[in-house]
Amino acid sequence: MSPRATAVEGVTSPRGAHSTSDDAFVRVEHAVKRFAIHGNQLFRRSKEAVHAVDDVSFTIRRGETLGLVGESGCGKSTLARLVTGLQPVTSGTVVFDGQEITRLSRAQLRAVRRDVQMIFQDPYGSLNPRRRVGSIIGDPYAIHDESRGDERKRKVQELMEVVGLNPEHYNRFPAEFSGGQRQRIGIARALALKPKLLVCDEPVSALDVSIQAQIINLLADLQHDFGLTYLFIAHDLSVVRQVSTRVAVMYLGKIVELADADELYERPRHPYTAALLSAAPIPDPDPARRRQRIVLRGDVPSPVSPPSGCRFHTRCPKARQDCVTVVPDLDAVTGSSAAHVAACLHPVVDGEDLGAAAAVIDQSDQAEIPALEAIEKITAGIARSVDDQGSRA
Amino acid sequence: MSVVIAEVAGTPEPPGGSPEVAGAKIAGRSPRALAWARLRRDKVALVSLGFVVFVVLVAIFAHPLSQLIGQSPYKPDRGPNGLSPSGIPVGPSTHHWLGTDDQGRDILSRLMFGAQVSMIVGLAATAIEIAVGVVVGLIAGFYGGKVDSFLSRFMDVVLSFPFLLTALAMSARFGNHLSITIGVIAFFSWSQPGRLVRGQVLALREREFVEAARSLGSSDLRIMFVDILPNLIAPVMVYGTLLIPVNIVAESTLSFLGLGVTIPKASWGQMLSDASGSGLYQVAWWFLVFPGLALLLTTLAFNLLGDGLRDALDPRFDRIGKG
Repeated sequence: MSPRATAVEGVTSPRGAHSTSDDAFVRVEHAVKRFAIHGNQLFRRSKEAVHAVDDVSFTIRRGETLGLVGESGCGKSTLARLVTGLQPVTSGTVVFDGQEITRLSRAQLRAVRRDVQMIFQDPYGSLNPRRRVGSIIGDPYAIHDESRGDERKRKVQELMEVVGLNPEHYNRFPAEFSGGQRQRIGIARALALKPKLLVCDEPVSALDVSIQAQIINLLADLQHDFGLTYLFIAHDLSVVRQVSTRVAVMYLGKIVELADADELYERPRHPYTAALLSAAPIPDPDPARRRQRIVLRGDVPSPVSPPSGCRFHTRCPKARQDCVTVVPDLDAVTGSSAAHVAACLHPVVDGEDLGAAAAVIDQSDQAEIPALEAIEKITAGIARSVDDQGSRA
Repeated sequence: MSVVIAEVAGTPEPPGGSPEVAGAKIAGRSPRALAWARLRRDKVALVSLGFVVFVVLVAIFAHPLSQLIGQSPYKPDRGPNGLSPSGIPVGPSTHHWLGTDDQGRDILSRLMFGAQVSMIVGLAATAIEIAVGVVVGLIAGFYGGKVDSFLSRFMDVVLSFPFLLTALAMSARFGNHLSITIGVIAFFSWSQPGRLVRGQVLALREREFVEAARSLGSSDLRIMFVDILPNLIAPVMVYGTLLIPVNIVAESTLSFLGLGVTIPKASWGQMLSDASGSGLYQVAWWFLVFPGLALLLTTLAFNLLGDGLRDALDPRFDRIGKG
């Protein structure tokens, strides 16, 4: 116990000072993550890169749940991995609890890992099929050399009870559990070191709908009991609304809007958010029929060569000429509270009918053709790397 | 941990999900137990396993066994039971159950001591190959990039050496000790399990449980040996079982060429060499047939056992082409 106590001390000693002066528990500033694409050149690295996360800044407050939504491939999961330090940032900073984690050494990062844990999307892939559940949940203790033998077993079984598993199943293998139970195992493992921040990367999207509610309720209970802060990633808007204090919306590597959950769902300011919300199913048929769906044109542009200016301008029903050139900042929107920020030059106003809006830009060929080319390049690159794998095997 | 059935029953998702309520002792079937259950249904594999166990026992107890039948593998029987008056080996008889060789030595006891050599070389060389191959393959597959390129090219180089030529040269240089034989054989074969492991690790390292381990703060070494290695056991065990007969044959080949075990010590390859070299097999068939049969049956048993193991351990595992 003693090494843990000191380690935690080092990180959290300014805790009191922090919670009064600055409520930012996690502060991400201008985070950029690019993944280089390997071309077919043997000795030359291709210059192209996937702009997975591009100049993203936000904060997570202590004790809150920040929801993060967006389409597949918009950079949600990459952003999560930047926050946990699993992926190094290309540039920018991530400050966790007053400590910048972007430039830590591996050993220093190890200490931070205790405080930041992650719950993964795939309850089948995230548990080692060859290890027993007790050993999986006890892994954090083994890694950080904390409590052995019977004591470790007792702790693990306590954790199993906390997440609603039968502690007698200590010696079973993951294959003997259902998807929901496996996700509970993953949660127990994440809780073992008593983390402060839990990053949930689509924790329920692989689960049956009836099981989703159980896991979400469990996460809510745990947040209450352990004083956890959540970064909750999902593409299911209703799930995010239910769990989140605030919600951030991502599009193509950028956060386009961030507001309190209810505020965002009631009065979306960014046309993309509005379109996204209009696509979410409503369980009540009457308002569902009355609602107008905003159907976006085209596909998500390639993250290899994202559109200029506002990244959404190629599909935005409200796009104007300035959207092509000016990169909008994430700023407060007139008509909303200061906590409601959106990156839009022409935000949606209350009562506006986006379905009737039409873009007014010279959209000849400047945006979509390069995107197409880039996609072709990527697919060619993938095909090539698959070929390489095949010939090697 | 007094039973928490009440609480568990209250959880929304009953553990197990079936009527088997908590309290009933349901032993979790480990992957190993499942594999054993599958193997037990495979008659060919079981017979092979039996034969392998038999050979191993014979090898271990070669000395007391040969004393039991009252024969020595080394001492020539100069009497009428050992050699005919014209100096021809005597065929199977009540004295020498499998006949004698050109010096009047008992073939059965020589076979038993030959089994010892085959097992030592087969198991030791395989163990070295698997150990080196797993470590190199793990490192290459896990780190990828330049490390992988370097190690993979190195494995290619080792694979491209002509085995017999180099083995002949090395044995000529370092002498005829059994450990030299083992070393030479192992040196040429570790890169095959190495490649196999590398390929498996390339796939395994992308699995989410590896990322989970990383997010817990696991070191690279721990991820490689605690998280990835257990997932390699099935293919490695199968491959190892199939490597043993290859190594036994390699030892026999070297001995046949006079580079492994030398007279008066016995090894199956050396006995074959003896029989064919002297030309006596034309009149004394037992001289050639019994060592050949021992070699054939043992390698066959190992190969069939390997096939059965593969089917039992991982029904989806692809057949491994050798060479």
